[in-house]
Amino acid sequence: MNKTFRLGLGHAVFIVAFVAVWELASRAGMLDPTFFGRPSGIVAYLWNGFVVERNLWNDLFYTILAATIAFWAGSIAAVLVGLVFAMLPRVHKACEPYLTLLNAMPRIALAPLFLLWFGLGVGSKIAVAISLVFFIVLSSTVAGIKGVNSDHLVLSRALGAKPRDIFFKVTLPSAVPVIFSGLRLGLVYSLLGVVAAELLAAEHGLGQVLAYLQSTFDMNGVMALLFLLAFLGLSITVAMNWIERRLLVWQ
Amino acid sequence: MNDMAAARPNGAPGAAAAPAIELNDLTMRFGVGTASTVLAVDRVSFSLAPGEFVSLIGPSGCGKTTILNLLTGLLAEEPEGDVRVLGKPPSAGNPDIAYMLARDSLLPWRSALGNAAFGMEVRGVPKKERERHALELLKEVGLGDFADKYPKALSHGMRQRCALARTFALDSPVLLMDEPFGALDAQTKLTLEDVLMRLWSAHRKTVVFVTHDLAEAIALSDRVVVMSARPGRMIADVPIDLPRPRSVRKLQSDHRFHEYYAHLWGLLEQGVGDE
Repeated sequence: MNKTFRLGLGHAVFIVAFVAVWELASRAGMLDPTFFGRPSGIVAYLWNGFVVERNLWNDLFYTILAATIAFWAGSIAAVLVGLVFAMLPRVHKACEPYLTLLNAMPRIALAPLFLLWFGLGVGSKIAVAISLVFFIVLSSTVAGIKGVNSDHLVLSRALGAKPRDIFFKVTLPSAVPVIFSGLRLGLVYSLLGVVAAELLAAEHGLGQVLAYLQSTFDMNGVMALLFLLAFLGLSITVAMNWIERRLLVWQ
Repeated sequence: MNDMAAARPNGAPGAAAAPAIELNDLTMRFGVGTASTVLAVDRVSFSLAPGEFVSLIGPSGCGKTTILNLLTGLLAEEPEGDVRVLGKPPSAGNPDIAYMLARDSLLPWRSALGNAAFGMEVRGVPKKERERHALELLKEVGLGDFADKYPKALSHGMRQRCALARTFALDSPVLLMDEPFGALDAQTKLTLEDVLMRLWSAHRKTVVFVTHDLAEAIALSDRVVVMSARPGRMIADVPIDLPRPRSVRKLQSDHRFHEYYAHLWGLLEQGVGDE
């Protein structure tokens, strides 16, 4: 307890010092606020956006909505396809070169195409994010299923387990931790995909706000949104870790 | 040594009973029809009476694991000669057989109880019944207080105890064990051997026990079958005439135990010498 308290205290001291140095350097004229913003301005921007004018809530909602939909749709599709691949290795073999090709494509570069196909609304954001999430979760599902301990398979077969039992009682549970790490990564990437697409063009969303602030050189706003997005990503990771610990007690 | 083989007060029931396992002129070749055909097992014959404990020893690559896998019905290759388990040819998933490996192969996401019940589960034993029986066996191997623990919380010895519970919980008349204690340290091994002896005395299964540990083979078995280096041929079939119940620890100071050791060691050397 004492140790974690000291560690927390250390972090707090560091952050306060960092912010103070930034603020002072900016006021002393050593850091140009036009390029770097300043902490007081960042706080003021967030206060205004979330408390006074409350316009940021709407954008935050759209970004989270798109990321959530993309995460669920992409992950569910990926796990299902992964299971099909595990059960039908020939289908896997036939599909593999195409999937490798698609996965090699820089997905962000697809965003203009998706904007054209699905419009300025959440549809195109979801499409970009799914194109990232799907491959991440698919490869972890396939890896998890392939990584099953061969001793477990030999033993199960020797004890008379049927293929169905082996799949549901041995192969699938052993793949869960690997699939889960794919899901954690997939969630972070779905946020990334949505924001990247919003940067390009959107009706709502934090990415679109960010693009606007950049074009008007509002550095306090840009910094505020970057911190907001980082904090969002951090919360996702913390939440996924918490779920994983509850779900995988045996690890 | 011959006088030792003469009487077997402890061994299997009378010779009248049909053998539990029978190998007649068993020959195994791998890669038949290719350039690199390997003769793995060469004309091996022996049989086990019901309730008998027989060890297979020999240098690595002598085909002892091959014979075990053949009995489980997991080998793709067809053997030459006649092999029978309780009168039937080997078949995969035969409920008459329980199988145990050197590595415990516990499923890490199942508690000790779930693991001990796993074999029964895949054989369709109802949940209540298999959990009751698994707990019984866990108590027998000394893991009664650890039923809800996951494998990561168990020591190597405890994990192998759990694997023993899983194996015996199946109530299969035939047990095939492939160096089940091979990965344990010497002290833990002795303890586990005693646990196995207790279980075997209580449940009386027919056991084929593959090992390369001579002392282990003598301490546990009614008979020790000695095999040569590849191609695996049978060098000897030595009855171990030591009184039961045995304590593996106490045997360590028994002079007859050491006589058997010297005798079997000589046979093994002879088998390796062929190379």
